[in-house]
Amino acid sequence: MISRRAVGLVSGLVYTFLLAPILVVIVASFNSGAFLTFPPQGVSLRWYGAFLHNEVFIRAFLTSVEVASLATAISGGVGTMAALYTARARPKVADGVRIAMMLPMLLPEVLTAIGLLFYFYALKIGTHFGLALIAGHILLTLPFVYLNVSSALSEFDWSLNLAARSLGASPMTAFFRITVPVIKTGLVGGCIFAFIVSFDAFSTSFLLKDIGTATLPLQLFDYLRLNFTPEAAAVSSATVFITVLIIAVADRLFGLKISRF
Amino acid sequence: MSRRVLLLLPSALILVLLLAIPYLNIVLISMRPSTPDMAYGSGFTLENYRAVLSSVRTWREIGTTLWIGGATTACAFVLGFPVAWNLARSPGKSQALRQSIVLSPLLVGIVVRSYGWTILLGNNGVMNRLARGLGLTHSIVPLMYNRLGIIIALTHVFLPFMILPIQGGLQNLDPALERAGRSLGASRRTVFLRVILPLTMPGVQSGCIMVFIMSISAYVTPVLLGGMRVKTMPMTVVDRLIDSFRWPLGAAEALVLSGIGGLVLLVFVALTSRRWNRQ
Amino acid sequence: MTQLVIEGLTKWFGGKAAVDAVSLSIDDGEFVSLLGPSGCGKSTTLQLIAGFEQADAGRILFDGEDVAPLPPERRDLGMVFQSYALFPHMTVAQNLAFGLEMRRVGKVEIRKRVDRALEMVRLSEMADRFPRALSGGQQQRVALGRALIIEPRILLLDEPLANLDAKLRDEMREFIVGLQRRVGITTIFVTHDQSEAMTMSDRVVVMFDGRVAQSGAPREIYERPAGMEVANFIGQANFLPATIVADEGRLMARTVLGVRELLPGTGLEPGGTVSVLIRPEALTLAGADDAGVVQATVDSISYSGNFTLYRVRLPRGEMVNIQAPGPGRQARGDAVGLRLALAPLWPIGIG
Repeated sequence: MISRRAVGLVSGLVYTFLLAPILVVIVASFNSGAFLTFPPQGVSLRWYGAFLHNEVFIRAFLTSVEVASLATAISGGVGTMAALYTARARPKVADGVRIAMMLPMLLPEVLTAIGLLFYFYALKIGTHFGLALIAGHILLTLPFVYLNVSSALSEFDWSLNLAARSLGASPMTAFFRITVPVIKTGLVGGCIFAFIVSFDAFSTSFLLKDIGTATLPLQLFDYLRLNFTPEAAAVSSATVFITVLIIAVADRLFGLKISRF
Repeated sequence: MSRRVLLLLPSALILVLLLAIPYLNIVLISMRPSTPDMAYGSGFTLENYRAVLSSVRTWREIGTTLWIGGATTACAFVLGFPVAWNLARSPGKSQALRQSIVLSPLLVGIVVRSYGWTILLGNNGVMNRLARGLGLTHSIVPLMYNRLGIIIALTHVFLPFMILPIQGGLQNLDPALERAGRSLGASRRTVFLRVILPLTMPGVQSGCIMVFIMSISAYVTPVLLGGMRVKTMPMTVVDRLIDSFRWPLGAAEALVLSGIGGLVLLVFVALTSRRWNRQ
Repeated sequence: MTQLVIEGLTKWFGGKAAVDAVSLSIDDGEFVSLLGPSGCGKSTTLQLIAGFEQADAGRILFDGEDVAPLPPERRDLGMVFQSYALFPHMTVAQNLAFGLEMRRVGKVEIRKRVDRALEMVRLSEMADRFPRALSGGQQQRVALGRALIIEPRILLLDEPLANLDAKLRDEMREFIVGLQRRVGITTIFVTHDQSEAMTMSDRVVVMFDGRVAQSGAPREIYERPAGMEVANFIGQANFLPATIVADEGRLMARTVLGVRELLPGTGLEPGGTVSVLIRPEALTLAGADDAGVVQATVDSISYSGNFTLYRVRLPRGEMVNIQAPGPGRQARGDAVGLRLALAPLWPIGIG
């Protein structure tokens, strides 16, 4: 029943399945024709050019970057602190904290966004100042940072810290000079993952955005409902390339490890 | 020890202020009456729930949503388990590459993904033209603007959430267990069914729960791939909030859907936990 | 009860022969240890016998029948693993019953045999516990019981005692040997611990680099090792150069510690030189001024409770290990006298 080759074959098909839409979008973005066809009529970079001149998209892109950066920065700090606590806590407590931190991921994104919408209205803030938006994105990113950092910490040998303390380092020094460098890959990996998740989030941004703000996914979505030019494919592909670039660079610099959840 | 707890403070604040209280608030709002000029009126009522539970159309949508959720979970399991197996058994370097392929849907953005699927699944899209080109069919196979397209796309998005927990469970297994089973006279198949599968149940459960929850609450994908012909609950709820501004009703619908989804999950967990300990 | 024969077994892993033309014959009911350092091929040999790896060359015969076409589950083996590999989701009783279920034994019969096996490994009260509730030693016993309850042809043990602490290891050694003698099953025991192999086995097979260096009874391996590598691996060894002289037709070895008869070996001619093996217990410590001793200085001392190991420097600079019972009265730098036992010496290497 289970032959290695059968498993390999099915896996191969699934890997293809996983990559298919992305590849299709990338290939379509190089289309020289004016319509979104596949296979493309010719190869050209004109749509990338068009995108780079499209102020609306550029603005949306920058907004996404701002929001994602801010959310990731906050989650990075908060999530790391929580992971530090869990790393030395009793197993039962650690399990409880872990489930709590994973809640934003387990609960429906739409429902959470709705909750925040109602909430901020009740607070008389509504969607102004982008507070609701940032709040939503913090919730989105928090579990990823926490999971990655606590995974890195679970493999961390705490006797390294004790060694540093025995050599005269204070707890803070031991943390920054010993713990952080070792868990760096977990921290960076978590932040990158979080950034990407925030950058690409839709439902949260859709419900919580301020009037006049648009993140890139929202802008793409609007565009796609009415237009069929490859410009949307170019924008999408550009985000893919940037994502891959960030990951490649981070991997080169820090060495990334993807934790499981 | 008490100072260390301070590390949890920011997270606790965020989770309470931005998650717990808003969710409780949803419950509150679902019990407020709808008013035409404001988001909701004052006072409490169960009218919204009555409206939701007695609406045939709502039940049909809940049914559609749950069906899509169940089908997506099943597909994700069938496709995901072999990949998790393959991943768990692959050597270091190639494992990293394969893992990035598995994670690629997540890194690409939901709009891009759904968009790619529209190109692939459209009536004149890649799959259809491929099928006709290979002579597999002469007519159009409708892969989009129906439940099938949504299920395909959702499976694609959520496969990583099924694969990774199962892979984790598999990798934690003592490799000697398989050999022990075989040395006792069990064929490869029996070892898989009696030893490996039961031990990966926790991972399978996690994966199924995550995928199910996420697929019944999906919004963008059903919109882009279902067109106007398939309506899921999240779509209806968002409509209520954004278009018709009837928050209490939307809240009630969202909660009813979540409640039923939660019940389904409880039954699922109960069934599979017993199977795991069966002997 | 089964006779096992291995002929010219070879297995390649990435350009190197992990098992290199190994041939071995194990009798019905014999307890044989495969002994050697990590990477010597002993575990691989076991995996080949069990059928988890396919040999690149050679044959494996159970009672004269080539088992190559048989997958592991049909070779009728019992196997115990270093990690015990107990099924975590099954109770002790269910673990024991598993092999019997695979052989389609009836429920009533299974019950009986499981109860008997539990008694045999002295774990009757643990029948309904899960493996994680058991200590290492208890898990070990369940693993043994599980392997033996199916009454296999051959029992294979892959470094089963490696994860136990010293005291427990000694207890389990006795237990395993006792059980094996009672049941009379042909047993192959893989280990890197030479004292385990020596105390438990009827025969020890010493392996280095995928080849069999020597195969024989423990005493033979200890007293007449087939080379310096084997001699060094089993117990402590001293090698002293000796000149070969003839004396009334017998060959003698002249060493700095005296002249003794030389045991027969190949290539030994009067006038030639050879290295001889001297075990630490063949040397005795005496006073530096005693009659008939060779002078030496104590270089280092290692006290182990029931004996003390001395490292002693001979006049011409050679270092020699000596074992003396109890705590010795010598200290570093003391002058002592050495006496070599009168027994014949075993030649190790020529020249």
